[in-house]
Amino acid sequence: MNPAESSRHPAWKFWTNPIFRRYCRSRLRPRGLGIWVLITVLFAGFIVSMASSIGVRTHLDAEDAARGAILPLLVLQGIVLFILGTAQVAGGMTAERDEGVIDYQRLIPMTPLAKVVGYLFGLPVREYVMFLTTLPFTAWAMWRGGISWQVWLPLYGIVFTSTLTYHFTGLLTGTVVKNRRWAFLTSIGLVFALYTVVPQMAKFGLVFFKYLSVTPVVQESMPKLLPKTAGAALETLQQLVPTVKFFGLDFSEAVFTAFCQGGLVLVFSIMLCRKWRRHESHLLGKLWAIGFFVWIQLLLLGNALPLIDSGSLFPSRAFNRMMRIIPDWQPDPGEAVAMSGIFGLVTLLLIFLLATIITPSSDHQIRGWRRARKEGAKALPLLSDAATGYWAVVLMALAGAGGWFWFTSGLVESRWFPGHEVPSHLFVAFAAVLLAAGLGFQAMLEAKGGRFVGLMVILVGVVPIMVGAVFGSLSNSMAAVAAWLIGMSPVSLPVYASMSLLSLSDLPVEVARAVPRAFKFWLFVAVIAAVHRSYLLWQARRDMARTVLADPVE
Amino acid sequence: MIANREQFQPAIDIRDLRVDYGNFVAVDDLTLSVPPGEVFGLVGPNGAGKTSTFRVLTTLMEPTYGEVQLDGVDVLEDIEAARRIVGYMPDLAPVPSDLKVAEFLEFHAAAYGLGSRAQRRDRVAECLEEVALTDQRGKWCKELSRGQTQRVVLAKTLLHRPRVLILDEPASGLDPLARRDLRNALRKLAKTGATVFISSHILSELAEMCTSLCVMNRGRLLASGSVDQVREQLGNTGRTLTATLLNRLEEGAAWLESREGVHDLEVAGQQVVFRFNGSDDDQADLMEGLIRQGIRLRSFEEKRSSFEDILVDVAESNRHS
Repeated sequence: MNPAESSRHPAWKFWTNPIFRRYCRSRLRPRGLGIWVLITVLFAGFIVSMASSIGVRTHLDAEDAARGAILPLLVLQGIVLFILGTAQVAGGMTAERDEGVIDYQRLIPMTPLAKVVGYLFGLPVREYVMFLTTLPFTAWAMWRGGISWQVWLPLYGIVFTSTLTYHFTGLLTGTVVKNRRWAFLTSIGLVFALYTVVPQMAKFGLVFFKYLSVTPVVQESMPKLLPKTAGAALETLQQLVPTVKFFGLDFSEAVFTAFCQGGLVLVFSIMLCRKWRRHESHLLGKLWAIGFFVWIQLLLLGNALPLIDSGSLFPSRAFNRMMRIIPDWQPDPGEAVAMSGIFGLVTLLLIFLLATIITPSSDHQIRGWRRARKEGAKALPLLSDAATGYWAVVLMALAGAGGWFWFTSGLVESRWFPGHEVPSHLFVAFAAVLLAAGLGFQAMLEAKGGRFVGLMVILVGVVPIMVGAVFGSLSNSMAAVAAWLIGMSPVSLPVYASMSLLSLSDLPVEVARAVPRAFKFWLFVAVIAAVHRSYLLWQARRDMARTVLADPVE
Repeated sequence: MIANREQFQPAIDIRDLRVDYGNFVAVDDLTLSVPPGEVFGLVGPNGAGKTSTFRVLTTLMEPTYGEVQLDGVDVLEDIEAARRIVGYMPDLAPVPSDLKVAEFLEFHAAAYGLGSRAQRRDRVAECLEEVALTDQRGKWCKELSRGQTQRVVLAKTLLHRPRVLILDEPASGLDPLARRDLRNALRKLAKTGATVFISSHILSELAEMCTSLCVMNRGRLLASGSVDQVREQLGNTGRTLTATLLNRLEEGAAWLESREGVHDLEVAGQQVVFRFNGSDDDQADLMEGLIRQGIRLRSFEEKRSSFEDILVDVAESNRHS
């Protein structure tokens, strides 16, 4: 058989993909499918009937009555595709591994991308059919409601890209998480968080995160989906909202959402293809991890910086829409300090996440060194999975510090806070925070392994914050003690850095002295610890290399 | 090594293969070559490195280092080409719970791109017949017995007519009749030029099925060749001999005991039972010498150590070291 025959299953032709067809067979059996389709049709029919009868009762015209059904139908479709579909993808993937049949699929001579596509569309195929059964109801409501294609096409386009993004997340969860129930719960939890917790982050300057959901596009389309009177009122309000700005560019909500989600889909595809090609591979290579980090930073910055001058970025405005029409509105300096701190914190957490992905386990390292010995090399290839992740974290920390500095400068030196400046040496402080925390974490992970780091995260990262919070809530006199305790946790360092170093910062009198002092002390400790950890890592790697390289080659 | 590489392109060619799990060495610089058309057995106690070797051969695992070629295709470089060549039946042979037997096989036939839909159906029917499961084609995979499951997975493995077939414990769970069918199927396959690499704990079965075999222990290759060659390489030339004497029993026993290589001698009735270490020529000399002593020898029986005994010795030596 000709090896080139694998091109018989091109990745894009998903309808001929054997894995897709295999799931069409197993998940579209009349008995299983029938009950679900019946339930979906019942709900969709109920929504349309209710909208019509409310329209009759409230004397709405036929167009408005039909429009009343559109949003509830969208929610139903969202539940089917986003929640049930994602859970099915994650759980189905884990089930393949539980049953032990995943090795068969690994052996099939198809490209990794074709396999990913097969699972992506195959596992949730029943949910796609359920979604399709709601479409006649939606089509009727759109037709009767006089919704033009310019409204529904981008809306459903984003529903589709969001579905892909969430299903990719489910596929990745199912590939990485070993327990079926956990995979199922984690994926549902992630989608739930995207519509609850994540949009709140957008209100603290991290606007990019809201484009991971369909919410911006639904909001944009809302005036044309609602009954005419309500829609007109909403449209007037929305005229105050600018379009999405990305640095100097202007996008519609739909285009920008597709852009953000497309990037994530690309990264998820790379992760999954790597895993399908070699099960032992890291989810991302070092270069990809750095690239992904820079891309997220650019999205965060490009999205946030243009909103500073209009004031839309500030939480006080984001939380209270009515403030948009108050002429003398002025952001509080504390908001800028908090947003700068949160930006630093999210950057640090992203470094932790990517460091976890690219850091080689001791097993990987030993195998790498043995391979090097066999090939007569004295060092590991810098970008191989077995090579240290230390330098990649250094680069990410420096890039992160740059992004954080840029964001903070944009905020502090904006027209809202005249006379305030961010000195360039602040970059050094930001870099010190990210390098100390990021490298301390990475070096510990590489030298000691995940379990030890997990314990340290609890003892050093979480417990001090919890204890500090308890002390802080006792009385104002304990606030300074609480500030010192909370400062012990490396994750508090970015927030403390902004609170201590920005000229805008106006700390409450109880902690005005404690926070800057605690920051300087704990940063010093973190730097020493990171240097020590780096030395220990260097020593551990040197010993490992010596031991393995010194072994006689048989 | 089974044969000189220059004489043929080996179906399976492993050089300096090493697999590590942290500090544990699962396969330690294994070098092995298997000619095409062989039914080659891989024997070893638990933890010998059999499954790790198989997983590297089937592209399911990346080794620490080493070179592996299947029919001239580098398994580590050209994964997809290697996957077209190899058929793998893992230990325990799992099947999906949500598919019927025919659906399971048709899915794999489609995945391997085995022609049109009708051609694929024909091939599935052929393979089902091969494993005597034609009447079970409409049954759910999860409803099959252990033996039937093994056979379904074997049918799946045979679907794309692999040039190299790798079977991890294929006979476990099969009844004697099914084992016989498996044996015949493998022989038939080998006659078409395919190479079968097989591991089993049922060693007598393996000895019957295989044209040659190798023994692994603690990741290392201890011996390879025919069953007798392997026995010899393992230094186990010992055998139990039983001489039935019709006269001068005590003299005969004393004479035997004085010979080199004879030990653990016991007399039971007319029989002298003893262990003998030596070549076949030495054994013939022993028999001749006994007759020359004027002893009437009614019979001389030999019982070689079974292959199981040898492996038990290997496993025991693991336990004691």
